[in-house]
Amino acid sequence: MMSPGADAATRSTLRRTVPPLLALALALLVMLSLTAGSAPVSWREAAAALAGPWAGLFGAPASDMAQAIVRDLRLPRVVLALLVGATLALVGGLLQSTTRNDLADPFLFGLSSGASTGAVAVITLTGEWLGAWTLPAATFAGASVAAGAVLLLVRRAGGQGPAQTVLAGLAVSFLFGALTHGLVFAGDQRAAHAVVFWSLGGLGLARWDNLWLACLGLAVLAVFIWRRHRALDALLAGDDTAHSLGIAPERLRTQAFVVAAVATACCVALAGVIGFVGLMVPHLARRLSGPLHAAFLPLAALLGAGLLLASDLVARTLLGSQELPVGIVTAGIGALFVMALLRRPAVG
Amino acid sequence: MRRALWRWAVGRSLALMAAGVLCVAGPALAQGAGAVPGFPVTVSNCGDTLRIAAPPQRMVVHDLNMVEMAMALGLQSSMVGVTGITGWYKTDAAFLRSLGTIPELAPKYPTLETLLAARPDLFFAGWYYGMQPGGEVTPATLAPHGIQTLILTESCAHTLGEKPRATMALLYGDLLRLGTVFGRRAEAERLIAQWRARVRAATHSPLPQPPRVFVYDSGEDKPFTAGRAAMPTALIEAAGGRNVLGDVAMSWGTSAWETVAASDPQVIVLLDYQNGQGPEHLQKILQAHPAMRLTEAVRQRRFVTLRYAELTPGPANIDAIEKLARALRQSP
Repeated sequence: MMSPGADAATRSTLRRTVPPLLALALALLVMLSLTAGSAPVSWREAAAALAGPWAGLFGAPASDMAQAIVRDLRLPRVVLALLVGATLALVGGLLQSTTRNDLADPFLFGLSSGASTGAVAVITLTGEWLGAWTLPAATFAGASVAAGAVLLLVRRAGGQGPAQTVLAGLAVSFLFGALTHGLVFAGDQRAAHAVVFWSLGGLGLARWDNLWLACLGLAVLAVFIWRRHRALDALLAGDDTAHSLGIAPERLRTQAFVVAAVATACCVALAGVIGFVGLMVPHLARRLSGPLHAAFLPLAALLGAGLLLASDLVARTLLGSQELPVGIVTAGIGALFVMALLRRPAVG
Repeated sequence: MRRALWRWAVGRSLALMAAGVLCVAGPALAQGAGAVPGFPVTVSNCGDTLRIAAPPQRMVVHDLNMVEMAMALGLQSSMVGVTGITGWYKTDAAFLRSLGTIPELAPKYPTLETLLAARPDLFFAGWYYGMQPGGEVTPATLAPHGIQTLILTESCAHTLGEKPRATMALLYGDLLRLGTVFGRRAEAERLIAQWRARVRAATHSPLPQPPRVFVYDSGEDKPFTAGRAAMPTALIEAAGGRNVLGDVAMSWGTSAWETVAASDPQVIVLLDYQNGQGPEHLQKILQAHPAMRLTEAVRQRRFVTLRYAELTPGPANIDAIEKLARALRQSP
């Protein structure tokens, strides 16, 4: 999928038109997400709840409940959707580039199964020893252990390039998956519920006091990409070329992998495993921007944020008073999108 | 609610595809057919008809609520085993006393082998109460071995497309069916009359309007709760209240915090799993939730704690109605 896609002229037009359009779409989505939901909060009330001291502009002030729903449930949820969507798309893009594998995504490397194992272990074995932070801490620990195991395996195998990493990731995924199912089997009913949440994802845990974790994940990624995007570009030309430019491909790959693991763990700790965003969005972004990371990754981040926010809006509103796990929506949209891509040779 | 959770996790997708066609046993192995007066009898069974040629001698019963139903009719002498009790619950001395020497064949769901080894003639269970669609233990897999299955009516909502509103008929009807199958219809009717009298006594002082009640089972990102077809809807209404999610077309399942908070429940039922992470934990989640903590129930701490057996169809439902009726009539 590393095809140049559109030619240079089309691409420069795209570069001028896509970001403003995207920004507009995102703004609209944010407004919609704050006013739409299963609870009956009118446009006016939502606006009044957000306006704070200027609520008078929108007539009567919103009720306490409407304020709580808009400010403390929907707003943090919107922020979390944007952060997680951007992070997943960036991680996917980064891993696809460094492993030169079009099917790489944040969860190919055992991160998600490790995180689920951490969550389920807490639920079935220990109970909450850290209060509200128990589950995020456990998922983070699980994801880190899984990522560490993959890195060790790759090390032991002598780091024979990207294919090795993918294989090691698969092996660790299976291992942790088995562990999780073992725990569910031995545990009680609540574990089953938890597994569904961690494996299909959801943004229902978003609170103002835990958003910093998602910010941290995205920040780590952004700094790494900002400092290393040229080295990543060089890697696209193959390991030998990268060597001749003074870059150590193996080291860069390990660094990228560690950063990806940290960022993914932050996401999973709050939102579970949301599939497809990290797999699909990079392909779409690459078609619009070309393969160079300075243009490609920021666009991927914007698209990922928009996709997840739109998916969550659908998940929250489709069934009225019931919430779909957001992973179901992203997978549905994603599958349709890939089918459409397969039918058309290239965007342009 | 474990079964409910599995039901949701597994059944959600299956329910969409469920043809709802249950191949129930053909003619049972008649044991001296016609020898018992009043037999054969027929009872409805998840949209089918179950024909019982003679009172079963060797019943196996799954789950606390159904075991309590069988014991309420004094069927211990016709039971050869129970399943799905100790894997999930702490049992009290009274329960173990009335169970007597009846063994537990499996702590959670029974396998087909375990059941066959007990040579039962009737299995009393439900969908996600001991049986899963497409699983190894279903009415269709038991039938070839001469084992008939009496299915808990509340659980039919999972295999039939419709989600009928839960009413107390779920409990009374199933007790009558069980009584009919064992030739003890009169006892069943007496028991139901006593239960109805207790419900009447508990609810004799009328409420100006039905208080809004929310059932909180589990879940932090979204609440796991009882919808239209689940037993708690019937219990709440019998006690004089209204389940705020009583119009959602589901049995047990997840809702959204927004919806629940906006409906402003006045009383909240907490499920006590009796396993350490008690109702206190659920209460903490509610008190920390930015929208739920504004609801009348949380502000005034109007919580009612109920056990699993009290919220699934069984004799303990009547205790649950009494507790609920008291809570709804307490001035906040």
